[in-house]
Amino acid sequence: MSMALGILARFGAMLVLLLVNGVMLIYMLRKVLGHLHLRIGPNRVGPFGLLQTTNDVIKLLTKEDLRPASADAWLFNIAPFLIFVPSFMAYIPLVFGPTLAVTSLDTGLLLAFALTSLVPLGVLMAGWASNSKWSLIGGMRAAGQQIAYEVPLLLSALGPVMMAGSMDPVKIVAAQSGVWLGFIPRWFVLPQLLAFVVYAISSQAETQQTPFDMSEAESELITGFANEYGGMRFGFMYLAEFSNTFVVSAIGTMLFFGGWQLPWVATPAWLAPFVFIAKTYTGIFVMMWARGSLPRFRVDQMLSFCWKVLIPVSLAWVVVWACVQRLWPVVAMAVSR
Amino acid sequence: MTDEPRITTPITAEGTTFPGPLPCGLRCIPRGVDELATEHLVLNMGPQHPSTHGVLHILVELDGEEVIAAEASLGYLHRGIEKLAESRRYHQVPTLLDRADYLSGLHSETAWALTVEKLAGIEVPRKASWLRALLMELNRYASHLVWLGTFGMDAGAMAPFLYIMRDREMLLDVIEAITGSRMMFNYVRPGGVAADLPAGVDAKIRAWLDVADTYLDENDALLGGNEIFRLRMKGTGVIDRATALAFGMTGGCLRASGVDYDLRRDVPYCAYPELDFEVPLGVRGDNMDRYDVRVGEMRQCIRLIRQLIDGMPEGEFSGRRSRVLKVPAGECYAAVESPRGELGIHLVSDGGFTPYRMRLRSPAYFNLAVVDEALAGGLIADAIVTLGSLDIVLGEIDR
Amino acid sequence: MWGSGILKGMAITMRNMFRGPITVMYPEQKLTLPERARWAVAPRYDEEGAPKCTACLICVNECPDHVLNLEVSRTAEGGKHIDRYVYELGACMMCGLCVEACPFDAIEMSHEYELATRDPHDLVRVLLRDVDAASARRAKGGDDA
Repeated sequence: MSMALGILARFGAMLVLLLVNGVMLIYMLRKVLGHLHLRIGPNRVGPFGLLQTTNDVIKLLTKEDLRPASADAWLFNIAPFLIFVPSFMAYIPLVFGPTLAVTSLDTGLLLAFALTSLVPLGVLMAGWASNSKWSLIGGMRAAGQQIAYEVPLLLSALGPVMMAGSMDPVKIVAAQSGVWLGFIPRWFVLPQLLAFVVYAISSQAETQQTPFDMSEAESELITGFANEYGGMRFGFMYLAEFSNTFVVSAIGTMLFFGGWQLPWVATPAWLAPFVFIAKTYTGIFVMMWARGSLPRFRVDQMLSFCWKVLIPVSLAWVVVWACVQRLWPVVAMAVSR
Repeated sequence: MTDEPRITTPITAEGTTFPGPLPCGLRCIPRGVDELATEHLVLNMGPQHPSTHGVLHILVELDGEEVIAAEASLGYLHRGIEKLAESRRYHQVPTLLDRADYLSGLHSETAWALTVEKLAGIEVPRKASWLRALLMELNRYASHLVWLGTFGMDAGAMAPFLYIMRDREMLLDVIEAITGSRMMFNYVRPGGVAADLPAGVDAKIRAWLDVADTYLDENDALLGGNEIFRLRMKGTGVIDRATALAFGMTGGCLRASGVDYDLRRDVPYCAYPELDFEVPLGVRGDNMDRYDVRVGEMRQCIRLIRQLIDGMPEGEFSGRRSRVLKVPAGECYAAVESPRGELGIHLVSDGGFTPYRMRLRSPAYFNLAVVDEALAGGLIADAIVTLGSLDIVLGEIDR
Repeated sequence: MWGSGILKGMAITMRNMFRGPITVMYPEQKLTLPERARWAVAPRYDEEGAPKCTACLICVNECPDHVLNLEVSRTAEGGKHIDRYVYELGACMMCGLCVEACPFDAIEMSHEYELATRDPHDLVRVLLRDVDAASARRAKGGDDA
C-alpha cells in the first residue's frame, strides 16, 4: 500500500515540477528575450507580469479544439502526447539532492536519452498527420535534425560516464564531490571541456532553439510541424518543448557541473534542490541568450555540421579520453618511480 | 507631345537577352517526375506569411527542400493609386504617393515634384533642394533600417529587429518635427517643400548623428559579422550582372551585381551635385553582396546627412505659394534614387488642373521580377532570405 | 577563430540587456508630440469664443477625400449660418491640406491621437453645429467699424 502511495507521490511531484517549470520557463523566456531586445517583456498581468503564463494557459484551455478535416485523425490526436509523455518521463533519472530523486537507476542516463529520442517521432507524426505541406516540411526537418543531434549528445555524455564509472546519475554526481589540487572543484566540465561544448551545441539543437530551430523556423514555416494545432494540443507541445529544455539542461548540470553540490562547501540536504535548480536555470538562461542573439542555420548546413564536425569530434574525444583514463595510472606510477 | 528631352539612362545593356517568354497565368502543373516516382510539391508562400514583406504571394515548386521554380502572383495590395491620381490636383497627389512606397514616401513625393516642375517649368530655390535631399537621406536611412531588421528576422536573428527601432524612433521624431507626420509626410510639393526646418531639429539631428555609427556597428556585428549569417548569405541567391540588367533591376540589387549605377551621382537632382559621397559596389550579386552594399549605403547616408545639416543654406523653402497649379500639356519623366532603386514618375498632362495619366515606375516591381531566376536551384530557406535581400515593398509593387 | 563573431554578437546583446528598455509605458507615460504633428482636425475660436470659420468652403474643396462638409444657411441679416460642419474622422488621412488652405486660420490639426473607438458613430464628428459663421471681412482684418 505504502509503495503505491510512494509511487503516486513521486508521480505527483514530477507532474507539479513539470507544470511549475513550464510556467516559469515560458515567463523567463519572454522576460529574457525582452530585456535582451531593449524592451521589458510581460509586466501588466500580475506583479512583474508573473501571472502572464497562467493567463496564457487558461486561454489555451478555453480555445476551440480544431482538427483539419483531411488530417489523419488518430495520428493527429496522438502526436502531442508522443511529444509530451517522453519529456515528462525524462524527469525520472534527475537527481535533486543526496536523497532526493524519483528513483536510482543503474542506467538512468541511458533512460533519459532514450526517452528524449522518442520526441522526434512525435514531431514527425504531427507534421505528417496535419496534411499540410508546410507542416510536412517542418516535420521532415525535425526528423532529420533531432535524430541526427541525438548522436553527439550521447557521445559527449560518455566522457563524464567514463570518469564516474557508472551511468547512474546519483553516482555521477557523487563522483564530482571534493576538489583537485586543493582548490579546483572536481566538476567534470574542466577536464571534459570539449565534450561540454559538444553537449551544449547538441542540446541547443535537440530542443530546437535558434540557431538550430529549422523545424519551427518562424519566418519560413510559421510554426513548422505545429501549424495546424491549436488550443491545448498546441499547449502540450509547447510545454513539452520547455520541459525538454529543462531536462537537457538538468542532465548537463549533473554530468558536468556537479549536480546539486556547491563548490568547496558541503551542501546541506535542504539546500541541494535549490542549488540544482539554480544551476539548471543558469544553463537555460545561456540557451535563451543564444536564442535571442543568433540567426539560424540552414537545414543542410546544420546537418552537415552535425555529421561532419560534431560526431567525429565527439567520437575522437571518447577514444582519446578512454586512452588517457586507462593509461593515467600507468603513467603516474612510471613518473613517481 | 512636347520635345522635352527625357532623362535617359547612360547604361547600355549590351549582350543581354531577355530570359525567355514572360509567364502569364499560373504554372501550377508539376513539371517533372523523377525516376523514383516522387512528386514535386507546389506551395503557396503567402499572401499571409510572416516573411513575405507585405501581401506577396509566391508559388514555389519544390523537390523536397529544393526550389525548382518560383512565380510571384501580385495584386493583393492594388489600390488604384495611378487611377486615383487622375482625379487629384497636382498638390494633392503626394498624399497618394506617400502610400505607394510607404517606407520611403519622401522619395516618391520628390520624384513627383521633379516631374511636375520639369513639365511646368517651375524654379526651385536652393534651400528647398537641400531640404528635400536632407529628408530623402533621413528617409533612406529609416527604410534601410527596416530592411536590416526584417532581413535579420528572415535569417532568424530577432535582436536586430528591435535594435533598429531604437535608431528609427530618433529618425522618425526628427521627420515628424519637420514634416508633421511619421509616415505619410505630404511635405514635398511642386515648387519646393511645405515648411522650413523648425527650431530644435538641428540639435536632434546632431544627437542622432552622434550615435548613428555606433548603432549601425552593433547591428552590423550582430548580422554581417556573424559566421552563421555569412554561411547562409555567401553564395546564395546569386543574380549575375546580365540577369540584373535584363530584368531592369536598379538600386542596391543592381549595384550588388556589379553594375555601377546610382542616379544620385549619374543623373543628379536636388542637392546631390554639391555633395560628396561614395557608391558601394558588389561583385558576385549574392545575398551577402546585397547586404554589404546596403550597409555601405547606410554609412554613406550618415556622411551625407552630416554634410547636409552642416551646409544647409538660407533662403526660401518654396518657389511658389499659390495652390493652384495648371501644368501645360505634354509628358515628362523624372526619377530619383529611392532606397529600392530608380523610382520614376511618367506624367502625361492635358493642360488641366489634374494629371491626365501618372505612371509610377516602381523599382521593387522590377527587382521582384527576378524571383524565378534567383530562387530556382536554392533551398526554401535561401528563397526566404533572397526575397528579404531584394528589399521589396508591396505598396509600390501593386500600387 | 571561427565563432568569434558569434561570441561578439552575444556580448552585444548581453550588454544591451543592462542598458534598459527603449520602450515607454503607455498610457502611464506619454511622449510629447512635436508642434507640427498632424492629427484630428479641430475648429479654432477667437478671443470671445466664437468660431473663426467663415464658411468659405475652401477646405471642403481642398480635401482630397471629401471628408469635410459644410451645411450653410442664410441668417436674417444676410450673413452665413453654419448648420453643421461635418468631419468624417474615420476617412480622414490627416494630410493637413485643409488647414493649409484655410485663409482664416479657422481649423487646426490638433494633437488628439487617441481616436480609437468601439462605436462607429464616433467616426463622424460634427465640428460646429448651429453657429453663425464669422464675417470674412472682419476676420481678414479689414475695416474695424
